[in-house]
Amino acid sequence: MKYVIAWGCLVPSRRSLIGYEAATRKVLNTLNVETVDLPNESCCAPFWMQSLDLTTSIALAARNLAKAEEMGLNLITPCSGCFHSYKRVNHSLNEYPEMKERVDGILRKAGLRYSGDVEVHHLIDFLYSNIGIDKIRDHIETSLEGLEVGLRYGCHMLKPHELLNIEYSERPTFADELLEGIGIISKQYTGCHRCCGGLLRGADDDLADKVLKARLEDALNADLDGIVTVCSLCHLQHDMGQRIVGKKFNIEGLDIPVLHFPQLLALAFGHNAEDLGLDLHTIKTSSLVQKISGGSI
Amino acid sequence: MSDLQNDRAQKDTIPILDSDIDDSFKYEISSSIGGEGLLRCLKCGACSGGCPVSAVTDYRPRKVLGNVLLGLREQVLSSKDIWMCAACFTCEERCVQEVNFTEIITVLRNRAVKEGFVAAGYLEMAKNVARNGRVGAKTRAVDSMRAKLNLPELQDPDIEEVHKIMEASGFNEILAKYADEEGKE
Repeated sequence: MKYVIAWGCLVPSRRSLIGYEAATRKVLNTLNVETVDLPNESCCAPFWMQSLDLTTSIALAARNLAKAEEMGLNLITPCSGCFHSYKRVNHSLNEYPEMKERVDGILRKAGLRYSGDVEVHHLIDFLYSNIGIDKIRDHIETSLEGLEVGLRYGCHMLKPHELLNIEYSERPTFADELLEGIGIISKQYTGCHRCCGGLLRGADDDLADKVLKARLEDALNADLDGIVTVCSLCHLQHDMGQRIVGKKFNIEGLDIPVLHFPQLLALAFGHNAEDLGLDLHTIKTSSLVQKISGGSI
Repeated sequence: MSDLQNDRAQKDTIPILDSDIDDSFKYEISSSIGGEGLLRCLKCGACSGGCPVSAVTDYRPRKVLGNVLLGLREQVLSSKDIWMCAACFTCEERCVQEVNFTEIITVLRNRAVKEGFVAAGYLEMAKNVARNGRVGAKTRAVDSMRAKLNLPELQDPDIEEVHKIMEASGFNEILAKYADEEGKE
């Protein structure tokens, strides 16, 4: 089956996030998932835009879903912000007739229509539910056995679970199972499920730093080979933010590599670190890559 | 301690006078899309207990809810508090009463924006979307990074559709209103 991919604004255009796209393309290609990029994708108008005007946000997000519907395809996105927005559109249009009427009217003026029926998958859930661990395991060429990482599900892939319908967010396991399926040790550590403060950037940067400081201290205490993220904001916070927070609060030892989830899969599938954009992250990932290629895990 | 004082989210006026109270405020919120759970609030504080922002400041979702239920319309809508939610949805996930605080925050923010209170950074991002169709502009640096990784060239968003949507939804009026205010300053 063919899917349309919505990459979002940040993933394809930010230095440390481009590797998320590169790795995702390689992983889906290896797994024989046929995809096409969403044409002329615009901003999914996530929570910060909802904060300004909910109706505008839903109509903007519905624009991208309307394109997917026109193509007759369901949608995959690696960005948790986009995932949350698109799930919100379907929910709002199906639950609130007055919102559907308003959004229909707005879209009509832009020459668009959207029924509310495009299925929306988060990449990581798609890999787990639609592909499965066994098929992923079939493609392993490089052993990542014994690597100890801290997995961050982030907020917007899971919460609220009634809306997103993947897994209850308090003790999720599905993405840990995927990592463990390829031999990685997914360490459970205090704070791994708590918010990174990413959405506070723009509203209150100082507060975003304070929340992040707590998360980075959690990660430092957990003694990890690396942090693994699925959310673009989590990655920006934990990767770029380590420098900011380290300086601002004078914390030593903030040098933890932060990888995108599919980068680990792609490494296990035998791809080179440079082809996955691993040299573009703010915090050097070479110690972790070295550990894998040097066989010293 | 001094750190906490600097982070004091909201200064309270004591005592609360009858003239501060708008009895209809809570119904205004609870009748909006997403605000339906408000009147179910028991003020138990589970929202504040799990809040990652409450863990590092004295911001408390329970207090916001309490003030909305009290009817402190002006105080709530002009407060910094309603812009301190990081939208992690933990409170929503844990609330036994299905109050859905994060949705209520959206309702409150939408109203605040109409009354002239906005997080400047969010407004800037919206202006970017109005200009470029996406949060960040496509630059030559982006193109060359993408080329190095053999990624296809980034497509331009359909900016005309974005403009038409913003016009039809009334969002251009919001942008114009804040542009006027900036002009006055």
